[in-house]
Amino acid sequence: MSTSTQPLTQKPDAAVDPILVVRGLHKHFGGIKAADGVDLEVGRCEIAGLIGPNGSGKSTLFSLVSGTVAPDKGEVRFDGRDIAGQNAYKVARLGLARTFQIPALFDNMTVTENLLAAAAEGHWPGAHERAAETLALLKLEHVADNRASDLSGGQQKLLEFGRVIMRQASLILLDEVTAGVHPNIRKIILEAIAKLRERGVSFLIIEHDMEMVRSVCDRIIVMDSGRVVTSGPFEEIVRNSEVMKTYLGRPQ
Amino acid sequence: MKARWLDILFLGALLFVLVLLPLLVNNYWLRIATGALMWAGLACSWNMLGGYAGYINFGHSAFFGLGAYVTALMMVDPLGLPFAATIPAGIAVTAACAVIIGAPTLRLRGAYFAIATWAFAEVLIQFATVMEFTGGIGGLSLPPFLNERFFYFAMLMAAALTYLVTWALFEHSRFGLKVKALRDHEPAAEAMGINTSLVKLQTFVLSAVTASVFGAIFAYWVTFINPKSVFGGDITDQMVVMVLLGGLGTLWGPAIGGVALFVVNRLIWMYWGDTAFYIAILGAAIVLVVLFLPNGIAGLFAKRGRGSVSVLGKAVEKLVGAGEGDRK
Repeated sequence: MSTSTQPLTQKPDAAVDPILVVRGLHKHFGGIKAADGVDLEVGRCEIAGLIGPNGSGKSTLFSLVSGTVAPDKGEVRFDGRDIAGQNAYKVARLGLARTFQIPALFDNMTVTENLLAAAAEGHWPGAHERAAETLALLKLEHVADNRASDLSGGQQKLLEFGRVIMRQASLILLDEVTAGVHPNIRKIILEAIAKLRERGVSFLIIEHDMEMVRSVCDRIIVMDSGRVVTSGPFEEIVRNSEVMKTYLGRPQ
Repeated sequence: MKARWLDILFLGALLFVLVLLPLLVNNYWLRIATGALMWAGLACSWNMLGGYAGYINFGHSAFFGLGAYVTALMMVDPLGLPFAATIPAGIAVTAACAVIIGAPTLRLRGAYFAIATWAFAEVLIQFATVMEFTGGIGGLSLPPFLNERFFYFAMLMAAALTYLVTWALFEHSRFGLKVKALRDHEPAAEAMGINTSLVKLQTFVLSAVTASVFGAIFAYWVTFINPKSVFGGDITDQMVVMVLLGGLGTLWGPAIGGVALFVVNRLIWMYWGDTAFYIAILGAAIVLVVLFLPNGIAGLFAKRGRGSVSVLGKAVEKLVGAGEGDRK
């Protein structure tokens, strides 16, 4: 654990031209070290999976990177720019999009309005057409005019993901976007991720479902107690019994 | 599409009746109609921030009063300026005050903004009461212009413009999407690239400036103002109840609530004189709306689903600084 920073830059799987670089990121909430010197990278067009037990600091890392919470210290470089401590809206405008662990929809707005609101501060021409395409891609056309708060849990997850698509981001952070959804909805989301990656979008995905991690992620990053423990291809991580003990030995 | 044609037809008929109204009723009822238009406009101005953005303004009368006092001060001696010249000045003063109050407090979630707006209105009452140039507690008398039709059409124009701007900006533009997004979930709105502090401030300034225009017309219309009559807390209270009753965050709710409550107010006044009965009705209206009509009268007609979440719920969450989980 103490040498966690070294392997990242030396391993062959580490990105040559990373879109996101995090170095020595710290955030303490009172006595809790939610981020205790996080180091990681996400390569261009890479789908990186972020795993770790509950409370290991994954969601906090998302908030620190996306600007929702300011870090105590450390470096966050996105597409070559230092964005540590930047306002969330500025980070978003640079091309970084995220979902929230608990769906954070615009409850009193319709599904279509939710999608349009995501594009309101961005490339607006053609937003209505893109919203229609996104509805079709996520199979949400039949609820297009429903209020977001009236959607089922799975549909809310889809809409949360749809807003991120509307951002036309170059890096997308997904926080348990398939947790607790029907296999059909999971399939829709996985197909959409694959489609976006073809267009050159990079992903950092928090996920507890190891089958999903295996099927979509190019590389796995393992966190525990606010630090990155190790990273590498899925098979390598699974073979590493220490990691599996960390992860599976402390189930929720 | 069919519904849209019906909307246009209804709006056209409404406007037709409103324009012809001075020919149809006597001056007494024309004054009531003028007042109803003013309250419909004021309620709409409060709703811009309270309903569309979810930020409760407890001191909106401050901006109504600023518009009234700027007009009065500029029209009386020694300036003696024409009425039309006073409106831009009132707008400028109001906008400046809204920026000064809103810029620091709208960045924060919780009750800070509500408290600041309430305190501002209280400060203005005291200020206008103790200062000599505002006429103190006695207030100011404006040069009388006794043409009921002029004031009816002035209020009609101001109200029509207010609703047109609200329709275009909050219901049919990107700006409106941003405002409603930050009302429903501020961290998510920020994550979508929306500068929520700026959008809130812009909405607040527009809301304040609109109220100041009605204040200006009101001062010239009634020809006499004092601190209580234009800054009084009961003015804000009425706007809030009108919007809640009509439908928070809806286009037509404030018009429905504004006209309904003002007419009730006048009827009570006609039959019982100046009683506290009206205040009791306001209180009862709040209780009934919160319990049975969280989306107001307009909510009865809107297509709604299960409706577990209401605009009112969002506004209350903001006021107490709750909700919007996953903020870490």
